Amino acid sequence: MSTKSAVRPLLTAGWLLLILSTPAMAGVKVIANPSVKENSITVEELRGIYLLQRSTLKSGSRVVPVLQKGGTAHDVFIRQYLGRDAEEIRIYYQGLIFTGKGSMPKELLSDAEVVAYVSGRNGAIGYVSSETDTVGVKVLTILRPGQTGERTLLSRVEPEYPETLRKLRIGGSVRLQLTISPQGEVESVVVVGGNPIFVEVAVKAAKQWVYAPWPSQTTVEVSIPFQPRP
Amino acid sequence: MRGRILRWILVCLLVGETAAAQEFRLWNRNVQVHGFASQGFVYTSHNNWLTMNTTDGSGAMTDMGLNLSSQLTDRLRVGAQVYDRNLGQLGQWHPSLDWAVADYRFTNWFGIRGGKVKTTLGLYNDSQDLDFLHVFALLPQSIYPTDLRDATIANKGGEFYGNIAMGPRFGQVSYSAFAGVHNDSIYSGYPYLTTQWGVFFRSIEGPQYGGDLRWETPWKGVLIGASRMDQEITAKGTYANLMLAPQPIPYETTTKAYWSNQYYGRIRGHGWQVDGEYRRYFVLFPILPGYDASIDARGWYLAGTYRISKHLEAGSYYSRYTVTTASGGLAETILPTQTDTSLPQNHIYDKVVSVRWDMNRFVYLKVEGHFMDGYGIGPYPDGFYPQQNPAGFKPRTNAVVVKTGFHF
Repeated sequence: MSTKSAVRPLLTAGWLLLILSTPAMAGVKVIANPSVKENSITVEELRGIYLLQRSTLKSGSRVVPVLQKGGTAHDVFIRQYLGRDAEEIRIYYQGLIFTGKGSMPKELLSDAEVVAYVSGRNGAIGYVSSETDTVGVKVLTILRPGQTGERTLLSRVEPEYPETLRKLRIGGSVRLQLTISPQGEVESVVVVGGNPIFVEVAVKAAKQWVYAPWPSQTTVEVSIPFQPRP
Repeated sequence: MRGRILRWILVCLLVGETAAAQEFRLWNRNVQVHGFASQGFVYTSHNNWLTMNTTDGSGAMTDMGLNLSSQLTDRLRVGAQVYDRNLGQLGQWHPSLDWAVADYRFTNWFGIRGGKVKTTLGLYNDSQDLDFLHVFALLPQSIYPTDLRDATIANKGGEFYGNIAMGPRFGQVSYSAFAGVHNDSIYSGYPYLTTQWGVFFRSIEGPQYGGDLRWETPWKGVLIGASRMDQEITAKGTYANLMLAPQPIPYETTTKAYWSNQYYGRIRGHGWQVDGEYRRYFVLFPILPGYDASIDARGWYLAGTYRISKHLEAGSYYSRYTVTTASGGLAETILPTQTDTSLPQNHIYDKVVSVRWDMNRFVYLKVEGHFMDGYGIGPYPDGFYPQQNPAGFKPRTNAVVVKTGFHF
């Protein structure tokens, strides 16, 4: 074996280590029990449900929010979708509890606990970090203000799984925010979170997607999973 | 006194380290248990305040509450809370049912609560006892006088409520409307105030109704709202006066008009908040056969808080309170007309600075300074009582309030 060929795997391993040790952009995804009819939820609905101001979605599905007790996913979710920090939301719930105007939502300790609970309870809705395996629950698309519904995806191009990562059985997901033109083309892509090593191929694939025409430009958040198979 | 406070802090720390909301199963339902307690110490430079002997320093400022609640179905929730306090001469450790509700939510925009329901009036009426929710040890007394908390805190009856989301361009409206019967504790500020005139009330009660409408505007963190409450209160008791009625005789009075209007706004950002509220309170009542008197109390405040770090928060407010009285004829001899709000007996202007330290998730400590101008001793209680100040009042009062507590 030449020196060159001996160094190459080392360099590859080093490069991978470097990338893997880079903290992924914090992101969360909202999950729901499969009994929930909707596939998407507006930020406004999400806020109303978690502030205990509403208990149903637009189709009439009754939902029950589940919280995480702390951690990055909790902090990101509270700040991003409820517009407060974790301490403020704790005080908000206590205000309801001690005035007889609400009960504390179920609090769980980890992403895995949330997935397990949501998958087993009708109407449950929760949030987990974007890398969490979400088998048994549905991931809801979060619609930004101004969006009134879901756009149908007509053509989806799957991303190319980097061969090296597949061999090393490295998986993950990438969360993207797509801006879609009225004609249905993906105009721009913003990386919201996920594993950085998959970002490039995910963005490349998503830019080729085609949606059904819509009266106006819309944005939508999507999560693209990368699951290595043997 | 110092030992008592240190013991209290120690108890708080020990309890706080192990405290967490408790939950147990009963008849196949989860029941949540939550509680809180607080202990305060007040020292004033002049004038005894809030029925305590504060010029010597007083720790007679304790309260606590415990509640149980359960979500019986997706729509139905029940719960109750017991509350007890001792604030100088008020409360006197007579526990009361603070609230006890059955809450049925039909839909997002319509729900009903029945039982003993906390009254939504302005930003903080229903949460004014919950010291752990606030940065300030004492909320602005122009709007939330702690000696009068019983007069507005809850009613036995019901309310309907709801939230109407109007989309991202228009924000959200929340409303509540209530009607019921209100009972004032005989250990509260008003009955205590009247004892100086030989009037001892046994009951103070009557119908109370009103509503609240608040708009969460589309501008991030901006809330505005208005509340209204009407009452018709009958107070029954005895009257004794060495000259006029040496033997106690029955005494009863019913208000002819009794209302409060409150307007408020709040702006909130990450870690900071600014609140402002205005309340006008008006009561017209017969003082002698054929003669009426009225009390018109107006207050407003502007408060700001800022979270310096996870455990440290600071705040400041300016609170302004004025009271005027009007009567005529013979009634003037009992309640003279007072319209000059520049006099210290007709106003209280309070500048406050406060710091709150959260020792952990459950235990906190607050230190607060009050710089008050005026003492507002009308026929409407507002913190300063002649019973604790027999030698009269000084126009200015500075106060230090130290408060600690825990909740779970």
